[in-house]
Amino acid sequence: MPAFFHTIAARIRGFLRPGDLESDFDQEMAAHLQMAEEDGVRRGLTVDEARRAARVELGGITPLRESWRAAWGLPWLDGFALDAKLGLRMLRRSWGLTLAGGLAMTIVITIAAVGFVFLDEFMGRTAPPLDEGERVVALQSWDVEAHRRRETPRRDLERWGATLQSVEDLGGFQTVERRLMVESRSAEWVRVAEITASGFRLARVPPLLGRWIVEADEHVAAAPVVVIGYDVWQSRFASDRAVIGQTVRLSGILHTVVGVMPEGFAFPVNHRYWIPLRSDPSGSLKPAPEGVVFARLAPGVSLDGAQAELTTIGLLPPATGPASGDARRPRVVPYTFAFTDDVERGELAWQQRIILFLISLLLVPPCLNIALLIYARTVTRQEEFAARFALGASRGRIVVQLCVEVLVLSSAAGAMALALTRPILTQIGEIIRRFPELGGSLPFWVDFDFSWRAAFFVASLTVLAALIAGLVPALQATGRVLPTALRSLGSRTGIPLGPTWTALIAAQVGLALAGLPSTMELAWGHLRPAVLGPGFAAKEFLTARLAVDLQTVPAAEADVPAFAPRVRSMQADVVRQIEAQPGVSAVTFAAALPGAEPVTFVEMDETAVGGRRVRRYVRANQVDRAFFTVFDVRALAGRTFDGRDFGAAATAIVDQTFVRQVVGDGNALGRRVRPVPAPGSDAGPWYEIVGIVPDHPANTSQGRMYVPAPSGARGPASPIYLALHAGPDPAAMSRRLHEIGTSIDPTLRLDEVRPLDEVYGESQITSNLTSYALAIVTLSVLLLSAAGLYALMSFTVTRRRREIGIRMALGAPPARMLAGIFARALWQIAAGVAVGVTVALVLHRRLNIEVEGGWHIPGILPAAAIFMITIGLLSAAGPARRAVRVDPTEALRDG
Amino acid sequence: MSDSESSILQGTLDLMVLKTLEHLGPLHGYGIARRIEQVAERALIVNQGTVYLCLVRLVQKKWIKAEWGVSGNNRKAKFYSLTKAGRKQLQAETANWERVAGVMGRVLHPQTGS
Repeated sequence: MPAFFHTIAARIRGFLRPGDLESDFDQEMAAHLQMAEEDGVRRGLTVDEARRAARVELGGITPLRESWRAAWGLPWLDGFALDAKLGLRMLRRSWGLTLAGGLAMTIVITIAAVGFVFLDEFMGRTAPPLDEGERVVALQSWDVEAHRRRETPRRDLERWGATLQSVEDLGGFQTVERRLMVESRSAEWVRVAEITASGFRLARVPPLLGRWIVEADEHVAAAPVVVIGYDVWQSRFASDRAVIGQTVRLSGILHTVVGVMPEGFAFPVNHRYWIPLRSDPSGSLKPAPEGVVFARLAPGVSLDGAQAELTTIGLLPPATGPASGDARRPRVVPYTFAFTDDVERGELAWQQRIILFLISLLLVPPCLNIALLIYARTVTRQEEFAARFALGASRGRIVVQLCVEVLVLSSAAGAMALALTRPILTQIGEIIRRFPELGGSLPFWVDFDFSWRAAFFVASLTVLAALIAGLVPALQATGRVLPTALRSLGSRTGIPLGPTWTALIAAQVGLALAGLPSTMELAWGHLRPAVLGPGFAAKEFLTARLAVDLQTVPAAEADVPAFAPRVRSMQADVVRQIEAQPGVSAVTFAAALPGAEPVTFVEMDETAVGGRRVRRYVRANQVDRAFFTVFDVRALAGRTFDGRDFGAAATAIVDQTFVRQVVGDGNALGRRVRPVPAPGSDAGPWYEIVGIVPDHPANTSQGRMYVPAPSGARGPASPIYLALHAGPDPAAMSRRLHEIGTSIDPTLRLDEVRPLDEVYGESQITSNLTSYALAIVTLSVLLLSAAGLYALMSFTVTRRRREIGIRMALGAPPARMLAGIFARALWQIAAGVAVGVTVALVLHRRLNIEVEGGWHIPGILPAAAIFMITIGLLSAAGPARRAVRVDPTEALRDG
Repeated sequence: MSDSESSILQGTLDLMVLKTLEHLGPLHGYGIARRIEQVAERALIVNQGTVYLCLVRLVQKKWIKAEWGVSGNNRKAKFYSLTKAGRKQLQAETANWERVAGVMGRVLHPQTGS
């Protein structure tokens, strides 16, 4: 094996320094011939005879030089460079193909690369960016039956810490929310890591100021301390170096700042505040991602070794309940894996592979289109290939040449994709981070960086694209065309475009058309709310989240049912304060904000259309009595909620889209609907529809259902949202809400104060991205179809040039000529359109576009058909002009 | 030269060159070619050019090394000599060749082989 690598290395050196080797060869051969000549003379030959004999014995300098060069260099690379040069020339000549094909490939490869980076960040990464990060692991309590991460009892954490030899710096953290007050500033809710001192040792990042949390801080009786992050130090303490020793209030408890961590430090996930995890043997750590047990593998120990030891030690039997049914098993996983979903390690790798495969499949449609274009072009190059074939080039050599030509195109597309991916990733990262709900909990190891793995993926896609788009036409062209072309070499009779390819063209038009209406409807459905707006002045409404801070409530008290009335009374107090503000007439509470309602599966009662139970996904919200008044939504039929609905009666109000999608043409009032949470689980209670309201917000694609929820009835653990009409100056009211939020009972928290249009903007991001991606893919498919048709028409004109010339010379009228020339191509377009319309109709009937988030556009199918025919005709226009401009004398002379 | 002869030659030329260099020490290409011709006693026709391609192959594998030097009659020539890896390879190939030759001998002359 070393000899093989030595040879490769020597050949590469020879390839890079061909000049040195040439002169070496010349000198060595000169010495050889001279010695042989002298030998010959010594044997009695004349000088001339000896010289001749020396050359004969050597076997000819020129072939030896060729073999020598081949032995020293990389001959296939020379051939590759030549093919690539030829490919570049071809791309310049067929600029239409280059543009359409290159654009389509670039789009698809870029989408795939962005997808890959996301996948890699969230599923593929195993090592956090810490010192020896690959040795940092998480220890979990894994429920093998439910396939879930369970909470880890603190006594197990302590036992593992005391006994495990295969790991070191074992500890744990859990995220808690605390109300932070620094001096006289307004309070703010922050995410705090309750972490063991070992977490800092494990991360191996020294503090910028002060110290880490130490073991003594974990003691129940120890004075409360906090370590803060760099940006907190900058924003809240104005980078004051005397911050150490100052105090802050976390949910009312004074904590002394003992350390400041350096910039960028966010271990264990994305934390900026760290407080000690107090020793509490009876408690448990929340399951990931909110809580994790971490450790570092001891030197020389593998993950499997640590797992073996942990399995032996196991988990203690549950403190309550029978030990026999305990399905929890301890497992060791790479640290970042602990934050991925509830999956087994092998499962994740498979999921990743399958998604990668699906992403790679995106390449197939554009590449097949490009293959078609390449084939049409190879047919016109039949003579070139036939000549090369006749001169001794093998079929394989010609296939390689064609593939390299396409590789040049796909490499250009790959390079463009590489250049585009990074700025796109930066943009996406910024968008995600701008919205706290999307990016607030992004772990510190997710940076959306373009890794070498992503670059390798793009390179693989580039080669794959070249193979798909180049190999099929190359094999076809050299398999079927070459012998024909050889026979016809020298004559001008063309060879036909095979039936496979003509069928493909019809299929291509058909497919482009088949998908067009649904894609447009999907894109429009997603984009519609952003374009048309919510149908009311959303920016005049302020929203906020109201929740109970359980950290400040003693556990025993929170468990008592009587706690709920206390929350209700506090909430009523908040409402009174807000309603006392000038300009505020009413405040409404809902389980979710309008536009951000959770999606629920519902079914209608048996009396539905045709006796069938209609089941659909809708958005469902629980609202109070004031909801429709505050948003000025009036009933179109029936009524809105009143006092009757908040008693025992189970009533619901639905919107117009709900009626259209779920009820259909019948009368919705009086019908019953119920939620079906998940397949197999029990359905919820039936609700009678008592009113129909306009869509609120308007222009979204899913129907809405409202059920009554008395304010505060959701219990202390679930937050509820309040909304109020703040008038034209929401900023002033927003400040006031913040003030009320900080002045109310510390048990209640009022936060996330923002105007409703911001809520819409946030929920719209993914929809907008989806519609842009759909629009781009559709555009590239249309471009490719147009390019395919253009290539077909051009090919037809080139092939029939002589015939056109003769008919022109005989005085055929141009219109009839055109009809004759393009009859087949136009027939193909018509056939494609017919296929497309049929498939689109079936698709339309089968696919419920509204369920997928689309929106019906009246007349989209005929419009798409006309559009495709127009594209077909436009693609034919250029070649058609060339056809009628054929000069009969020239065509006849050439022919 | 027929195909079968050339294929035998290709397989054995490396071994012949290595053995020559072991036996005679550092030697130039012409010397190696002449030595093989002499030893073969016209039973094998070795194209001298082929020897140079064989030398390239062996240099690339680092079984021999090449250095410019001065020949006996004061001419500048490239001298090839065996490397440590080449010596090891020679031992392995010699053993292999003897084994194959022994087997072939027994197959072709069964009465003398038993």
